[in-house]
Amino acid sequence: MTLDEFTKIIDLYGTEPDCWPSELHTQCKTFLTTHSEADALLKRQRQVDELMKQLTVPNFPGLELRALNQALPERDNKFFDRLLAWLMPEDNIGKQIWRPACAACMPLFIGIVLGNFFNFGIGIEDDGFQYWNDELIMLSLSDYTEGTF
Amino acid sequence: MTDEELMLAVCVGDRSAYQTLVRQHLKPISHYAYRMLGNQKDTEDITQEVFLKLWINASSWKKEKAKLTTWLHRITHNLCIDYLRKQGRVQTQRTFDEGSVGAIAGKKNDSGNEDQLSLLHEVINNLPESQRSALTLCYYQGFSNKEAAVIMNISVKALESAISRAKRTLRNQLTTNNEVPARKPEQKQEPK
Repeated sequence: MTLDEFTKIIDLYGTEPDCWPSELHTQCKTFLTTHSEADALLKRQRQVDELMKQLTVPNFPGLELRALNQALPERDNKFFDRLLAWLMPEDNIGKQIWRPACAACMPLFIGIVLGNFFNFGIGIEDDGFQYWNDELIMLSLSDYTEGTF
Repeated sequence: MTDEELMLAVCVGDRSAYQTLVRQHLKPISHYAYRMLGNQKDTEDITQEVFLKLWINASSWKKEKAKLTTWLHRITHNLCIDYLRKQGRVQTQRTFDEGSVGAIAGKKNDSGNEDQLSLLHEVINNLPESQRSALTLCYYQGFSNKEAAVIMNISVKALESAISRAKRTLRNQLTTNNEVPARKPEQKQEPK
């Protein structure tokens, strides 16, 4: 182990040996006992840590009330937001495919259902059929003998 | 109630759930903002904005992606960085409150090391924003390196590098200099 490696361990895991990676624990301990620079570095870092602990943050007396009482916007488009969130979920790739696909097929399903219940004026009793009935009646009434005499 | 239940309630406009969340998270959020910004007025403005964003964007929080506190710290981090950039104070000497060392130290004169605390405060304030943020998140806010990296939107390796550089600077400045370090000129921002 080099001093740089030891320094990196101190910087990343702190000065407490219990927090050092277990696989490097023995190596670090040995390095500490054999290298005075490492020991000095550890002591320096402990001094800095002690000082850092003393840097506390002041209280903010009115802040809680300010955050609690701030004007919050009304949620007027909840349904639209939820619909969009349902249509385009961010968490699951599967849902990202089948949900928009379902949404795209909805007009087709609605068309089938409506078509099943309503004929929209299209049926078997239409004008065309009636026209052929009239045509047959007219044909049956025609005098075909006129031209033979 | 869990964070998830509270956030679901906030999503449907429950103000009491919002108030519970404010009470739960106000302290860590305001402390982080203060350590980033260094003065009370800006800290209060940013903290208020964080909770407003929580109310507005509650539906965008996904519990599978991050804990609520991580998400809130990320919002705070972004707001602080935006604010500092607007003020043109990133990477430069920032305007901290008068006597903020005394305020931030808490135990003023108790241990007779006010000079050292003043020096530490000055050194931390002079750290580049990424190093100061990394140090604050991991040392004071108690986040793991992975969580801090998520908050700062950088890789764990970059975060570890930032922490390492910050600690080296603190160690060198505090143990070799007895004088307050000279104010640094404006530096270019490090790439994230």
